[in-house]
Amino acid sequence: MEKRFMKGCEAIAEAAVRGGCRFFAGYPITPQNEIPEYLSKRLPEVGGAFVQGESEVASINMVYGAAATGTRALTSSSGPGISLKAEGISYLASAQLPAVIVNISRGGPGLGSIQPAQSDYLQATKALGHGGFRAMVFAPATLQEAVDLTYNAWEYAERDRGPVLILMDGCLGAIMEEVELPEMKELNYDNTEDWCLARVNGREDSHMITPILPELALEMLNKFKGMTYKMWEMADVKVEEYLLDDAEYVVVAYGIAARVAKEAINTLREQGHKVGMIRPITLYPFPKASLDNLDYEKVKAIIDIEMTIPAQMRDDIELQVKGRCPVHEYGRSGGILLDDDGVLEAIENIVKGGA
Amino acid sequence: MPSYKRPSALLPMSTGYCPGCLHALATRLVADVVDELNQQKNAINVISVGCSALNLYSWSGDEIGAAHGRAPAVATGIKRCLPDRLVFTYQGDGDLAAIGLAEIMSAANRGENFTVIFANNQTYGMTGGQMAPTTLIGQKSTTTPFGRDAATTGYPLKMCELISVLEAPVFVARYALNSPKGVMDAKKGIKKAFELQLAGKGFTFIELLTNCPTNWGMSPLDTLDYMNTNTIPYFVPGVYKDKEGEK
Amino acid sequence: MKQSFVFSGSGGQGIMSAGITLAHTAIDMGKHSTFLPEYGPEQRGGSAKCTVIISDGEIISPLPKKCDILVAMNEQAYSKFIDDVKAGGTVVVNSSRVKDTDRQDVKTISVPVDDVALELGNVKVANTVLIGVLIGATEIISREAVIASLGEKFKEKSPKIMELNVAALEKGIEFGSKA
Repeated sequence: MEKRFMKGCEAIAEAAVRGGCRFFAGYPITPQNEIPEYLSKRLPEVGGAFVQGESEVASINMVYGAAATGTRALTSSSGPGISLKAEGISYLASAQLPAVIVNISRGGPGLGSIQPAQSDYLQATKALGHGGFRAMVFAPATLQEAVDLTYNAWEYAERDRGPVLILMDGCLGAIMEEVELPEMKELNYDNTEDWCLARVNGREDSHMITPILPELALEMLNKFKGMTYKMWEMADVKVEEYLLDDAEYVVVAYGIAARVAKEAINTLREQGHKVGMIRPITLYPFPKASLDNLDYEKVKAIIDIEMTIPAQMRDDIELQVKGRCPVHEYGRSGGILLDDDGVLEAIENIVKGGA
Repeated sequence: MPSYKRPSALLPMSTGYCPGCLHALATRLVADVVDELNQQKNAINVISVGCSALNLYSWSGDEIGAAHGRAPAVATGIKRCLPDRLVFTYQGDGDLAAIGLAEIMSAANRGENFTVIFANNQTYGMTGGQMAPTTLIGQKSTTTPFGRDAATTGYPLKMCELISVLEAPVFVARYALNSPKGVMDAKKGIKKAFELQLAGKGFTFIELLTNCPTNWGMSPLDTLDYMNTNTIPYFVPGVYKDKEGEK
Repeated sequence: MKQSFVFSGSGGQGIMSAGITLAHTAIDMGKHSTFLPEYGPEQRGGSAKCTVIISDGEIISPLPKKCDILVAMNEQAYSKFIDDVKAGGTVVVNSSRVKDTDRQDVKTISVPVDDVALELGNVKVANTVLIGVLIGATEIISREAVIASLGEKFKEKSPKIMELNVAALEKGIEFGSKA
């Protein structure tokens, strides 16, 4: 294991390369430019290809082409650019091609603000493109977690043959922390599965990759995908449950917001307040059971903390709480960051107010 | 003796094109050249949206459907990962010259080493005959019921001319498929483009002037005459750029 | 022990570089550290700010509201961030550019950073002077560790650049220790 003090964007770019990524296409947008900049130098070193696309639209379609060859392909962007990629992401889903997409999100909507925000939860988990498909969404809170999730993202994308999204905010993209980098994966591309265009010249069979299907086949695909999403809920949920055993107040937060909330929870615990946290690591599949299984005899309130206004995860939380306790929300948005004092005060007000 | 057998690059089935549609002929020419160069197992056909998408079902080799206008981006991703494969896109004029203008111009400008086959029939065939970026002035369509008016819709886009002024492309040519000579020339052009690609020379662009009897509202034979009097004088056939030939 | 630093000024003053050097040095010393930059949309001359946390234990939140130590390289930065310093904290001001300091409940260290750097021969080493001040005024990082870290940073540059930076560092330490 190799330790390095790295910037978030560069850490996930390196983790992608070590996880087997050999193709990247992307278009400049703040705050994720260090990903393409890093990969424009790094990919040629490992025999991979880097293309700066003429737009986000073109870039995601280059990834679609690269993925069709069995190459582990990546694109990255930020909110406005992810909107443009929506078309291509939907095509990846229908053509059943694996790819990884990184969103280093910023203040929205519109051109919004180039400063960090968690404003793309709904886009990520509900409608990453048209047509009603879902993608697995990973939301790391530390750079180490970002490295580990990115490194293994293609294993999920290839297992289920579809897009996987890594959702981070601009803070995590820009922050520098120490990370342990995993070993380079050794991949044997010559044995590529039969879902892709042959990598080996002269393969006997040919293959059609199509984003358009006859009605019955399309419905079969949709039913199959529906089953896959159910399987994710059973097998692939990742969640951190923090000090829940005796918790009277439960914070739900992901990514950078969860780190700020955890600091506040530690302070409140020192003061004797029973506060815990559920931190979804997969935003989709959402950790429903963690919320559903809380002891609502004890839990007095849930506090949804997000770096966006209004809170976007709240609907998913309320569906599991089912009215068994009040749900509160606190956030900052538009590129104004959450901070330790603000979050502590917000939780304190609810805890001490006995709400 | 010329062969009239079905090229093995095509499956033994009907193409799905309307009677008299030159798309079917264009597809066949591409398949013939793939056969002649013995590239059936090496070729990857990047198929676009519109009537050209009907090729998905008749092509026998590797193929992939691309989103509307995005075929050159998809082909870029494929070719960068599989540089030894013969990669080409097959696109219509709405796909290539309107929604996909950024993708075609940028791929051409990067000098991507693949071939674009551009079937220009001056209409959106599959969606029912709306005005295309290549619809001629005065030509009627379902969205220009009184004929295309330059004052509000501008002029038909000349893609060969546009692409030929870029530095990177190596071979850019236009052929009209409404005469036996045009067909023979087109086949030679496609072959030359594929050979240049296989030699790693760079971006090649073949525009094929085709018809649409259904949406033009004419008999197939009348469309051929219409092309002579209207299409060809505006979209003049010829080799617009031949970098290797100039050397 | 956990301390948070805010470096602030305008783009081009070496704010980010100073923050990274501090964080890097702390890591080299076996501590934990995070570095978080904030940029304006301008490429040059806009505002620049970064937050560095150094801790013996794991760093949970990288977003403190208040910092222990503020470094303000110009007037604007001083007035924008002075209220974000904890009572009892430390403020290092570039007195070449910041004339009035008004908070009584913090320790203010005034160093004419630009002038010192110019005297040494290059205004670009102003940020190294700053690091020196921090070494002199706090005990969170050591002189030796910073020199090692600078050595790594300038290993491909001419030895003169390293010499200049070490001189700047020593000058800063002098100011910091006196404060």
